Amino acid sequence: MDIGILRRDGRTDPFFDGAAADRLVVRRCVPCDRWFAPDQGDCPGCGSTGLEWARASGTATLVAWTVTHAKPREDGAVPPPAYLALVELPEGPWLHARLDGVDPASLREGLPLRAAFEHPAEGESYVLFRPAS
Amino acid sequence: MGEGASIVGLGMTELGRVYGRSPRRLAADAVRRAVADAGLSLPDLDGLLVSHGMGGSPGIELADSLGLRDLRLLTQMNAFGATAGAMVAYAAMSVLSGAATTVACVFADAPLKPRQSAGSAYHRDAPEWYGFGGMTAALGFRSVNAFYALAARRHMERYGTTSEQLGAIAVSTRRWAAMNPLAQMRDPITVEDHQNSRWVAEPLHLLDCCLVSNGAIAVVVTGADRARDLAQPPVHLWGWGQGHPGHRRERGSEFGLRTGAATSGPVAMKMAGVTPDDIDVCQLYDCYTYTVLVSLEDYGFCGKGEGGAFAASGALGPGGSLPTNTGGGQLSGYYMWGMTPLSEAVIQGRGQGGERQADRNDLILVSGNGGILDHHSTLILSPHAKGT
Repeated sequence: MDIGILRRDGRTDPFFDGAAADRLVVRRCVPCDRWFAPDQGDCPGCGSTGLEWARASGTATLVAWTVTHAKPREDGAVPPPAYLALVELPEGPWLHARLDGVDPASLREGLPLRAAFEHPAEGESYVLFRPAS
Repeated sequence: MGEGASIVGLGMTELGRVYGRSPRRLAADAVRRAVADAGLSLPDLDGLLVSHGMGGSPGIELADSLGLRDLRLLTQMNAFGATAGAMVAYAAMSVLSGAATTVACVFADAPLKPRQSAGSAYHRDAPEWYGFGGMTAALGFRSVNAFYALAARRHMERYGTTSEQLGAIAVSTRRWAAMNPLAQMRDPITVEDHQNSRWVAEPLHLLDCCLVSNGAIAVVVTGADRARDLAQPPVHLWGWGQGHPGHRRERGSEFGLRTGAATSGPVAMKMAGVTPDDIDVCQLYDCYTYTVLVSLEDYGFCGKGEGGAFAASGALGPGGSLPTNTGGGQLSGYYMWGMTPLSEAVIQGRGQGGERQADRNDLILVSGNGGILDHHSTLILSPHAKGT
Protein backbone atom coordinates (compact mmCIF):
# COMPACT_ATOMS: atom_id res chain seq x y z
CA MET A 1 0.00 0.00 0.00
CA ASP A 2 1.46 3.36 -1.03
CA ILE A 3 1.49 5.86 1.78
CA GLY A 4 0.78 8.79 -0.50
CA ILE A 5 1.53 12.43 0.08
CA LEU A 6 0.99 13.98 3.53
CA ARG A 7 -0.01 17.62 3.92
CA ARG A 8 -0.31 19.96 6.91
CA ASP A 9 -3.71 21.27 7.94
CA GLY A 10 -2.92 24.02 10.46
CA ARG A 11 -3.06 21.77 13.56
CA THR A 12 -0.09 19.63 12.69
CA ASP A 13 2.89 21.96 12.28
CA PRO A 14 4.80 21.02 15.47
CA PHE A 15 4.35 17.33 14.71
CA PHE A 16 5.55 17.53 11.12
CA ASP A 17 8.37 19.95 12.03
CA GLY A 18 9.47 17.35 14.57
CA ALA A 19 9.25 14.49 12.10
CA ALA A 20 11.34 16.46 9.60
CA ALA A 21 14.05 16.69 12.30
CA ASP A 22 13.74 13.00 13.33
CA ARG A 23 11.87 13.83 16.52
CA LEU A 24 8.63 12.25 17.69
CA VAL A 25 6.53 15.16 18.98
CA VAL A 26 3.31 14.50 20.91
CA ARG A 27 1.08 16.39 23.38
CA ARG A 28 1.55 16.77 27.10
CA CYS A 29 -0.51 18.29 29.90
CA VAL A 30 2.03 20.00 32.12
CA PRO A 31 -0.12 20.28 35.32
CA CYS A 32 -1.11 16.60 35.10
CA ASP A 33 2.25 15.39 33.73
CA ARG A 34 0.20 13.30 31.36
CA TRP A 35 1.15 12.61 27.74
CA PHE A 36 -1.19 12.19 24.78
CA ALA A 37 -1.20 11.28 21.11
CA PRO A 38 -0.45 14.25 18.82
CA ASP A 39 -4.10 14.63 17.74
CA GLN A 40 -5.40 15.03 21.32
CA GLY A 41 -7.40 18.24 21.78
CA ASP A 42 -7.75 18.98 25.50
CA CYS A 43 -6.66 17.16 28.66
CA PRO A 44 -9.45 14.77 29.70
CA GLY A 45 -8.05 14.82 33.25
CA CYS A 46 -8.01 18.53 34.18
CA GLY A 47 -9.75 20.03 31.16
CA SER A 48 -6.74 22.11 30.20
CA THR A 49 -7.04 23.47 26.69
CA GLY A 50 -3.37 24.30 26.60
CA LEU A 51 -1.59 21.03 25.96
CA GLU A 52 2.02 21.65 25.06
CA TRP A 53 3.97 19.90 22.34
CA ALA A 54 6.65 17.69 23.80
CA ARG A 55 9.31 15.40 22.44
CA ALA A 56 8.76 11.75 23.27
CA SER A 57 11.65 9.35 23.73
CA GLY A 58 10.89 7.64 20.43
CA THR A 59 10.71 4.14 21.87
CA ALA A 60 7.49 2.14 22.06
CA THR A 61 6.10 -1.31 22.69
CA LEU A 62 3.65 -3.23 20.53
CA VAL A 63 0.07 -3.42 21.84
CA ALA A 64 -1.70 -5.06 18.90
CA TRP A 65 -1.08 -5.41 15.19
CA THR A 66 -2.75 -6.33 11.93
CA VAL A 67 -1.52 -7.19 8.48
CA THR A 68 -3.85 -5.70 5.90
CA HIS A 69 -4.19 -7.32 2.50
CA ALA A 70 -5.66 -5.45 -0.42
CA LYS A 71 -7.83 -7.37 -2.83
CA PRO A 72 -5.81 -8.88 -5.72
CA ARG A 73 -5.90 -6.68 -8.81
CA GLU A 74 -7.63 -7.73 -12.03
CA ASP A 75 -4.31 -8.83 -13.53
CA GLY A 76 -3.80 -11.14 -10.56
CA ALA A 77 -1.07 -9.05 -8.96
CA VAL A 78 -1.26 -8.99 -5.18
CA PRO A 79 -0.40 -5.64 -3.56
CA PRO A 80 2.15 -5.97 -0.73
CA PRO A 81 0.63 -6.26 2.74
CA ALA A 82 0.86 -3.43 5.26
CA TYR A 83 1.80 -4.01 8.91
CA LEU A 84 -0.29 -1.71 11.07
CA ALA A 85 -0.33 -1.47 14.84
CA LEU A 86 -1.31 0.15 18.06
CA VAL A 87 1.91 1.06 19.84
CA GLU A 88 2.37 2.32 23.39
CA LEU A 89 4.92 5.03 24.14
CA PRO A 90 6.72 4.74 27.50
CA GLU A 91 5.17 8.14 28.28
CA GLY A 92 1.73 6.46 28.12
CA PRO A 93 -0.03 7.36 24.85
CA TRP A 94 -1.07 4.89 22.19
CA LEU A 95 -0.49 5.69 18.53
CA HIS A 96 -2.00 4.14 15.44
CA ALA A 97 1.18 3.34 13.58
CA ARG A 98 2.70 1.55 10.64
CA LEU A 99 5.42 -1.01 11.27
CA ASP A 100 8.46 -1.48 9.06
CA GLY A 101 11.12 -4.17 8.91
CA VAL A 102 9.29 -6.63 11.14
CA ASP A 103 9.51 -10.40 11.09
CA PRO A 104 5.86 -11.53 11.19
CA ALA A 105 6.74 -14.46 13.43
CA SER A 106 8.27 -12.14 16.02
CA LEU A 107 5.17 -10.00 16.54
CA ARG A 108 3.82 -10.19 20.09
CA GLU A 109 2.33 -7.90 22.69
CA GLY A 110 5.17 -5.97 24.33
CA LEU A 111 7.65 -6.20 21.44
CA PRO A 112 10.12 -3.28 21.80
CA LEU A 113 9.98 -0.76 18.94
CA ARG A 114 11.71 2.43 17.93
CA ALA A 115 10.46 5.34 15.83
CA ALA A 116 12.05 5.73 12.40
CA PHE A 117 11.51 8.81 10.27
CA GLU A 118 10.86 8.86 6.56
CA HIS A 119 11.53 11.95 4.47
CA PRO A 120 9.78 11.57 1.13
CA ALA A 121 10.67 13.79 -1.80
CA GLU A 122 7.21 15.29 -1.77
CA GLY A 123 4.99 15.98 1.22
CA GLU A 124 5.64 15.84 4.94
CA SER A 125 7.94 13.49 6.81
CA TYR A 126 6.28 10.71 8.76
CA VAL A 127 7.10 8.15 11.41
CA LEU A 128 7.23 4.36 11.15
CA PHE A 129 8.06 1.96 13.98
CA ARG A 130 10.75 -0.70 13.64
CA PRO A 131 11.92 -3.43 16.01
CA ALA A 132 14.22 -1.87 18.60
CA SER A 133 16.93 -4.52 18.46
CA MET B 1 -49.93 3.75 28.58
CA GLY B 2 -48.93 2.09 31.82
CA GLU B 3 -48.51 -1.21 30.07
CA GLY B 4 -45.46 -0.19 28.09
CA ALA B 5 -44.48 0.17 24.48
CA SER B 6 -44.43 -2.33 21.66
CA ILE B 7 -43.09 -2.82 18.14
CA VAL B 8 -46.13 -3.36 15.95
CA GLY B 9 -44.84 -2.86 12.42
CA LEU B 10 -41.81 -4.01 10.43
CA GLY B 11 -41.06 -2.81 6.91
CA MET B 12 -38.13 -3.98 4.82
CA THR B 13 -37.27 -2.99 1.27
CA GLU B 14 -35.37 -5.26 -1.09
CA LEU B 15 -31.89 -5.56 0.42
CA GLY B 16 -28.45 -6.00 -1.11
CA ARG B 17 -27.39 -4.88 -4.56
CA VAL B 18 -30.49 -2.73 -4.97
CA TYR B 19 -29.73 0.20 -7.25
CA GLY B 20 -31.55 3.24 -8.55
CA ARG B 21 -33.24 4.37 -5.35
CA SER B 22 -31.86 7.10 -3.07
CA PRO B 23 -31.72 6.57 0.69
CA ARG B 24 -34.80 8.80 1.01
CA ARG B 25 -36.80 6.74 -1.48
CA LEU B 26 -35.71 3.54 0.25
CA ALA B 27 -36.59 4.98 3.66
CA ALA B 28 -40.01 6.09 2.45
CA ASP B 29 -40.70 2.62 1.06
CA ALA B 30 -39.68 0.98 4.34
CA VAL B 31 -41.87 3.29 6.43
CA ARG B 32 -44.88 2.66 4.15
CA ARG B 33 -44.34 -1.08 4.45
CA ALA B 34 -43.94 -0.94 8.23
CA VAL B 35 -47.13 1.08 8.63
CA ALA B 36 -49.06 -1.27 6.33
CA ASP B 37 -47.60 -4.28 8.14
CA ALA B 38 -49.01 -2.92 11.40
CA GLY B 39 -52.44 -2.47 9.85
CA LEU B 40 -52.12 1.29 10.18
CA SER B 41 -52.03 4.09 7.63
CA LEU B 42 -49.50 6.91 7.31
CA PRO B 43 -51.72 9.57 9.01
CA ASP B 44 -51.66 7.38 12.12
CA LEU B 45 -47.98 8.28 12.59
CA ASP B 46 -47.29 11.23 14.85
CA GLY B 47 -43.57 10.57 15.21
CA LEU B 48 -40.71 9.80 12.86
CA LEU B 49 -37.08 9.04 13.74
CA VAL B 50 -34.57 8.86 10.91
CA SER B 51 -31.06 7.41 10.69
CA HIS B 52 -28.60 6.72 7.93
CA GLY B 53 -25.43 4.90 6.96
CA MET B 54 -22.65 5.79 4.53
CA GLY B 55 -24.66 6.48 1.40
CA GLY B 56 -26.28 9.78 2.35
CA SER B 57 -29.09 10.65 4.72
CA PRO B 58 -32.82 10.47 4.06
CA GLY B 59 -33.00 13.56 6.28
CA ILE B 60 -35.97 14.73 8.26
CA GLU B 61 -37.33 15.89 4.89
CA LEU B 62 -38.50 12.29 4.73
CA ALA B 63 -41.58 13.47 6.61
CA ASP B 64 -42.44 15.71 3.65
CA SER B 65 -41.77 12.94 1.17
CA LEU B 66 -44.26 10.79 3.03
CA GLY B 67 -46.77 13.64 3.34
CA LEU B 68 -46.79 13.38 7.12
CA ARG B 69 -48.51 16.30 8.84
CA ASP B 70 -48.75 17.58 12.38
CA LEU B 71 -46.02 15.30 13.71
CA ARG B 72 -45.25 15.64 17.40
CA LEU B 73 -41.82 14.03 17.12
CA LEU B 74 -39.35 14.32 14.25
CA THR B 75 -35.57 14.09 14.39
CA GLN B 76 -32.52 12.46 12.92
CA MET B 77 -30.48 10.32 15.30
CA ASN B 78 -26.93 9.03 15.06
CA ALA B 79 -25.00 6.74 17.35
CA PHE B 80 -23.67 4.84 14.33
CA GLY B 81 -24.42 1.12 14.68
CA ALA B 82 -26.11 1.70 18.03
CA THR B 83 -28.72 4.00 16.50
CA ALA B 84 -31.51 1.50 15.87
CA GLY B 85 -31.66 0.58 19.55
CA ALA B 86 -31.42 4.23 20.56
CA MET B 87 -34.27 5.17 18.19
CA VAL B 88 -36.55 2.45 19.50
CA ALA B 89 -35.79 3.45 23.09
CA TYR B 90 -36.54 7.10 22.32
CA ALA B 91 -39.73 6.11 20.54
CA ALA B 92 -40.77 4.01 23.54
CA MET B 93 -40.05 6.84 25.98
CA SER B 94 -42.03 9.22 23.79
CA VAL B 95 -45.00 6.85 23.78
CA LEU B 96 -44.77 6.24 27.52
CA SER B 97 -44.56 9.95 28.30
CA GLY B 98 -47.45 10.83 26.02
CA ALA B 99 -45.28 12.99 23.78
CA ALA B 100 -46.33 10.86 20.81
CA THR B 101 -48.51 7.81 20.25
CA THR B 102 -47.19 6.08 17.14
CA VAL B 103 -43.58 6.49 16.03
CA ALA B 104 -41.79 5.10 12.98
CA CYS B 105 -38.03 4.51 13.21
CA VAL B 106 -36.19 4.05 9.93
CA PHE B 107 -32.68 3.34 8.69
CA ALA B 108 -31.73 3.62 5.03
CA ASP B 109 -28.45 3.28 3.20
CA ALA B 110 -27.22 2.96 -0.37
CA PRO B 111 -23.41 2.80 -0.26
CA LEU B 112 -23.13 0.20 -3.03
CA LYS B 113 -22.73 1.35 -6.58
CA PRO B 114 -23.00 -0.83 -9.69
CA ARG B 115 -19.72 -2.51 -10.74
CA GLN B 116 -18.05 -1.59 -7.44
CA SER B 117 -16.76 -4.05 -4.86
CA ALA B 118 -18.58 -4.16 -1.53
CA GLY B 119 -15.41 -3.35 0.39
CA SER B 120 -14.72 -0.19 -1.62
CA ALA B 121 -17.91 1.35 -0.25
CA TYR B 122 -16.18 1.60 3.13
CA HIS B 123 -12.64 2.23 1.85
CA ARG B 124 -10.80 5.56 1.74
CA ASP B 125 -8.28 6.45 -0.91
CA ALA B 126 -6.75 9.77 -1.91
CA PRO B 127 -3.63 11.09 -3.66
CA GLU B 128 -2.96 13.49 -0.78
CA TRP B 129 -3.85 13.32 2.89
CA TYR B 130 -4.43 16.21 5.27
CA GLY B 131 -3.87 16.48 9.00
CA PHE B 132 -3.69 13.76 11.63
CA GLY B 133 -6.77 11.90 10.40
CA GLY B 134 -5.34 11.91 6.91
CA MET B 135 -1.99 10.71 8.19
CA THR B 136 -3.53 7.70 9.93
CA ALA B 137 -5.38 6.79 6.74
CA ALA B 138 -2.26 7.37 4.66
CA LEU B 139 -0.24 5.01 6.86
CA GLY B 140 -2.71 2.25 5.98
CA PHE B 141 -5.84 2.62 8.11
CA ARG B 142 -8.03 2.99 5.05
CA SER B 143 -11.15 1.25 6.39
CA VAL B 144 -12.63 0.09 9.67
CA ASN B 145 -11.32 -3.43 9.00
CA ALA B 146 -7.85 -2.55 10.34
CA PHE B 147 -9.20 -1.04 13.55
CA TYR B 148 -11.40 -4.04 14.32
CA ALA B 149 -8.48 -6.32 13.45
CA LEU B 150 -6.43 -4.59 16.18
CA ALA B 151 -9.28 -5.13 18.64
CA ALA B 152 -9.57 -8.80 17.72
CA ARG B 153 -5.81 -9.26 17.94
CA ARG B 154 -5.75 -7.76 21.40
CA HIS B 155 -8.45 -10.17 22.54
CA MET B 156 -6.47 -13.06 21.06
CA GLU B 157 -3.23 -12.00 22.74
CA ARG B 158 -4.90 -11.50 26.11
CA TYR B 159 -7.26 -14.47 26.22
CA GLY B 160 -5.95 -16.95 23.67
CA THR B 161 -8.94 -16.54 21.38
CA THR B 162 -8.30 -18.27 18.04
CA SER B 163 -9.24 -17.63 14.44
CA GLU B 164 -10.99 -21.02 14.36
CA GLN B 165 -13.21 -19.87 17.23
CA LEU B 166 -14.12 -16.78 15.23
CA GLY B 167 -14.77 -19.14 12.33
CA ALA B 168 -17.29 -21.03 14.45
CA ILE B 169 -19.35 -17.83 14.58
CA ALA B 170 -19.17 -17.40 10.79
CA VAL B 171 -20.31 -21.03 10.38
CA SER B 172 -23.19 -20.94 12.87
CA THR B 173 -24.41 -17.65 11.42
CA ARG B 174 -24.36 -19.07 7.89
CA ARG B 175 -26.33 -22.12 9.07
CA TRP B 176 -29.09 -19.76 10.18
CA ALA B 177 -28.85 -17.74 6.96
CA ALA B 178 -29.45 -20.88 4.92
CA MET B 179 -32.97 -20.89 6.40
CA ASN B 180 -33.68 -17.20 5.72
CA PRO B 181 -35.00 -16.36 2.22
CA LEU B 182 -33.92 -12.73 2.77
CA ALA B 183 -30.28 -13.60 3.46
CA GLN B 184 -27.71 -12.62 0.84
CA MET B 185 -25.28 -15.48 1.57
CA ARG B 186 -26.97 -18.86 2.04
CA ASP B 187 -24.49 -21.50 0.89
CA PRO B 188 -23.19 -23.58 3.80
CA ILE B 189 -19.61 -22.97 4.94
CA THR B 190 -17.20 -24.83 7.21
CA VAL B 191 -14.50 -23.61 9.56
CA GLU B 192 -12.06 -24.80 6.87
CA ASP B 193 -13.76 -22.49 4.35
CA HIS B 194 -13.39 -19.70 6.87
CA GLN B 195 -9.70 -20.45 7.34
CA ASN B 196 -9.16 -20.59 3.58
CA SER B 197 -10.98 -17.34 2.85
CA ARG B 198 -8.55 -14.57 1.98
CA TRP B 199 -7.09 -12.32 4.61
CA VAL B 200 -8.64 -8.88 4.83
CA ALA B 201 -6.81 -7.60 7.88
CA GLU B 202 -5.13 -10.31 9.92
CA PRO B 203 -6.44 -11.86 12.13
CA LEU B 204 -9.67 -11.25 10.20
CA HIS B 205 -10.43 -13.35 7.15
CA LEU B 206 -13.01 -12.33 4.56
CA LEU B 207 -15.54 -14.60 6.28
CA ASP B 208 -15.05 -12.68 9.53
CA CYS B 209 -16.42 -9.53 7.88
CA CYS B 210 -19.98 -8.42 7.28
CA LEU B 211 -21.66 -7.76 3.97
CA VAL B 212 -22.47 -4.34 2.54
CA SER B 213 -26.08 -3.78 1.50
CA ASN B 214 -28.35 -1.16 0.04
CA GLY B 215 -31.88 -0.90 1.38
CA ALA B 216 -33.99 0.34 4.26
CA ILE B 217 -35.78 -1.08 7.29
CA ALA B 218 -38.38 0.59 9.49
CA VAL B 219 -40.28 -0.36 12.62
CA VAL B 220 -43.35 1.21 14.20
CA VAL B 221 -43.57 1.67 17.98
CA THR B 222 -46.82 2.36 19.85
CA GLY B 223 -48.38 1.77 23.25
CA ALA B 224 -48.89 -1.83 24.38
CA ASP B 225 -52.63 -1.24 24.93
CA ARG B 226 -53.08 -0.14 21.33
CA ALA B 227 -50.75 -2.84 20.02
CA ARG B 228 -53.18 -5.62 20.87
CA ASP B 229 -55.71 -4.44 18.29
CA LEU B 230 -53.32 -4.19 15.35
CA ALA B 231 -52.52 -6.56 12.52
CA GLN B 232 -49.39 -8.28 13.84
CA PRO B 233 -48.53 -10.00 17.11
CA PRO B 234 -46.94 -7.21 19.17
CA VAL B 235 -43.34 -7.44 20.30
CA HIS B 236 -43.09 -5.72 23.64
CA LEU B 237 -40.17 -3.62 24.86
CA TRP B 238 -39.05 -4.75 28.29
CA GLY B 239 -35.82 -2.85 28.59
CA TRP B 240 -33.26 -0.72 26.86
CA GLY B 241 -29.79 0.64 27.56
CA GLN B 242 -26.75 2.26 26.07
CA GLY B 243 -23.03 2.14 26.78
CA HIS B 244 -20.35 4.47 25.44
CA PRO B 245 -17.05 3.48 27.04
CA GLY B 246 -14.92 6.34 25.71
CA HIS B 247 -11.87 4.15 25.21
CA ARG B 248 -8.70 6.08 25.89
CA ARG B 249 -5.75 5.65 23.60
CA GLU B 250 -3.25 5.19 26.38
CA ARG B 251 -1.75 2.68 28.77
CA GLY B 252 -4.40 0.65 30.57
CA SER B 253 -7.08 1.06 27.91
CA GLU B 254 -9.59 -1.78 27.66
CA PHE B 255 -9.96 -1.31 23.89
CA GLY B 256 -10.63 -4.69 22.31
CA LEU B 257 -11.11 -6.38 25.65
CA ARG B 258 -14.33 -4.85 26.98
CA THR B 259 -17.10 -3.00 25.13
CA GLY B 260 -20.09 -0.80 25.89
CA ALA B 261 -22.20 -3.95 26.20
CA ALA B 262 -20.80 -4.29 29.72
CA THR B 263 -22.73 -1.12 30.64
CA SER B 264 -25.63 -1.27 28.20
CA GLY B 265 -26.54 -4.89 28.95
CA PRO B 266 -26.96 -4.61 32.72
CA VAL B 267 -28.96 -1.37 32.34
CA ALA B 268 -31.36 -3.00 29.88
CA MET B 269 -31.63 -6.27 31.79
CA LYS B 270 -32.24 -4.50 35.10
CA MET B 271 -35.02 -2.47 33.50
CA ALA B 272 -36.52 -5.67 32.12
CA GLY B 273 -36.05 -7.51 35.42
CA VAL B 274 -34.12 -10.35 33.79
CA THR B 275 -30.65 -11.89 33.80
CA PRO B 276 -28.56 -13.38 31.00
CA ASP B 277 -29.83 -16.83 31.99
CA ASP B 278 -33.36 -15.74 31.09
CA ILE B 279 -32.52 -14.75 27.51
CA ASP B 280 -33.72 -17.26 24.90
CA VAL B 281 -32.44 -15.70 21.68
CA CYS B 282 -29.72 -13.14 20.87
CA GLN B 283 -29.56 -10.84 17.88
CA LEU B 284 -26.08 -9.35 18.18
CA TYR B 285 -24.52 -6.71 16.00
CA ASP B 286 -22.03 -8.70 13.91
CA CYS B 287 -20.01 -6.32 11.79
CA TYR B 288 -17.28 -8.88 12.48
CA THR B 289 -17.33 -12.33 14.07
CA TYR B 290 -15.19 -10.86 16.82
CA THR B 291 -17.89 -8.33 17.71
CA VAL B 292 -20.27 -11.18 18.52
CA LEU B 293 -17.65 -12.94 20.62
CA VAL B 294 -16.76 -9.95 22.77
CA SER B 295 -20.44 -8.92 23.12
CA LEU B 296 -21.36 -12.39 24.43
CA GLU B 297 -18.72 -11.97 27.13
CA ASP B 298 -19.71 -8.44 28.08
CA TYR B 299 -23.39 -9.39 28.35
CA GLY B 300 -22.43 -12.19 30.72
CA PHE B 301 -23.47 -15.15 28.57
CA CYS B 302 -20.02 -16.54 29.33
CA GLY B 303 -17.03 -15.40 31.33
CA LYS B 304 -14.53 -12.79 30.11
CA GLY B 305 -12.11 -14.49 27.79
CA GLU B 306 -14.39 -17.50 27.31
CA GLY B 307 -16.26 -16.20 24.26
CA GLY B 308 -14.17 -18.27 21.88
CA ALA B 309 -14.82 -21.56 23.63
CA PHE B 310 -18.49 -20.67 24.01
CA ALA B 311 -18.85 -20.01 20.27
CA ALA B 312 -16.91 -23.14 19.36
CA SER B 313 -19.23 -25.24 21.56
CA GLY B 314 -22.03 -24.83 19.03
CA ALA B 315 -24.19 -22.85 21.43
CA LEU B 316 -25.02 -20.15 18.89
CA GLY B 317 -26.24 -22.23 15.97
CA PRO B 318 -29.47 -24.09 15.21
CA GLY B 319 -30.17 -26.46 18.09
CA GLY B 320 -27.72 -24.65 20.37
CA SER B 321 -28.43 -23.35 23.85
CA LEU B 322 -28.36 -19.68 22.81
CA PRO B 323 -29.66 -19.24 19.24
CA THR B 324 -27.83 -16.16 17.97
CA ASN B 325 -28.28 -14.15 14.79
CA THR B 326 -31.01 -16.45 13.59
CA GLY B 327 -31.50 -14.58 10.33
CA GLY B 328 -27.87 -14.78 9.30
CA GLY B 329 -26.94 -11.47 10.88
CA GLN B 330 -24.82 -8.95 9.05
CA LEU B 331 -22.23 -11.60 8.22
CA SER B 332 -24.52 -13.63 5.97
CA GLY B 333 -27.94 -11.97 5.99
CA TYR B 334 -27.99 -8.28 5.17
CA TYR B 335 -26.14 -5.23 6.48
CA MET B 336 -28.61 -2.62 7.66
CA TRP B 337 -26.52 -1.54 10.65
CA GLY B 338 -28.58 -1.90 13.87
CA MET B 339 -31.72 -2.71 11.93
CA THR B 340 -30.29 -6.12 11.00
CA PRO B 341 -30.46 -7.55 14.53
CA LEU B 342 -33.63 -5.60 15.35
CA SER B 343 -35.58 -6.81 12.32
CA GLU B 344 -34.77 -10.45 12.99
CA ALA B 345 -35.68 -9.97 16.65
CA VAL B 346 -39.12 -8.72 15.63
CA ILE B 347 -39.56 -11.70 13.29
CA GLN B 348 -38.54 -14.13 16.04
CA GLY B 349 -40.65 -12.34 18.64
CA ARG B 350 -43.70 -12.74 16.44
CA GLY B 351 -42.95 -16.39 15.90
CA GLN B 352 -42.66 -15.77 12.15
CA GLY B 353 -39.20 -17.24 11.67
CA GLY B 354 -40.52 -20.20 9.70
CA GLU B 355 -37.93 -22.93 9.35
CA ARG B 356 -35.49 -20.96 11.50
CA GLN B 357 -37.91 -19.99 14.29
CA ALA B 358 -36.23 -20.50 17.66
CA ASP B 359 -37.94 -23.02 19.93
CA ARG B 360 -38.23 -20.47 22.72
CA ASN B 361 -38.63 -16.74 22.10
CA ASP B 362 -39.88 -15.45 25.46
CA LEU B 363 -36.97 -13.03 25.82
CA ILE B 364 -34.87 -11.72 22.97
CA LEU B 365 -31.77 -9.57 23.40
CA VAL B 366 -30.83 -7.17 20.59
CA SER B 367 -27.53 -5.32 20.44
CA GLY B 368 -26.21 -2.39 18.45
CA ASN B 369 -22.55 -1.45 18.11
CA GLY B 370 -21.13 1.69 16.57
CA GLY B 371 -17.80 3.21 15.68
CA ILE B 372 -14.79 1.15 16.65
CA LEU B 373 -16.55 -0.42 19.65
CA ASP B 374 -17.29 3.14 20.81
CA HIS B 375 -21.09 2.97 21.09
CA HIS B 376 -23.44 0.22 22.20
CA SER B 377 -27.18 -0.18 22.60
CA THR B 378 -29.33 -2.98 23.96
CA LEU B 379 -33.01 -3.84 23.70
CA ILE B 380 -34.85 -6.60 25.54
CA LEU B 381 -37.93 -7.74 23.61
CA SER B 382 -40.68 -10.25 24.32
CA PRO B 383 -43.93 -11.47 22.76
CA HIS B 384 -45.40 -11.10 26.25
CA ALA B 385 -46.44 -7.81 27.81
CA LYS B 386 -43.99 -6.75 30.49
CA GLY B 387 -44.77 -8.12 33.90
CA THR B 388 -46.83 -11.04 32.62
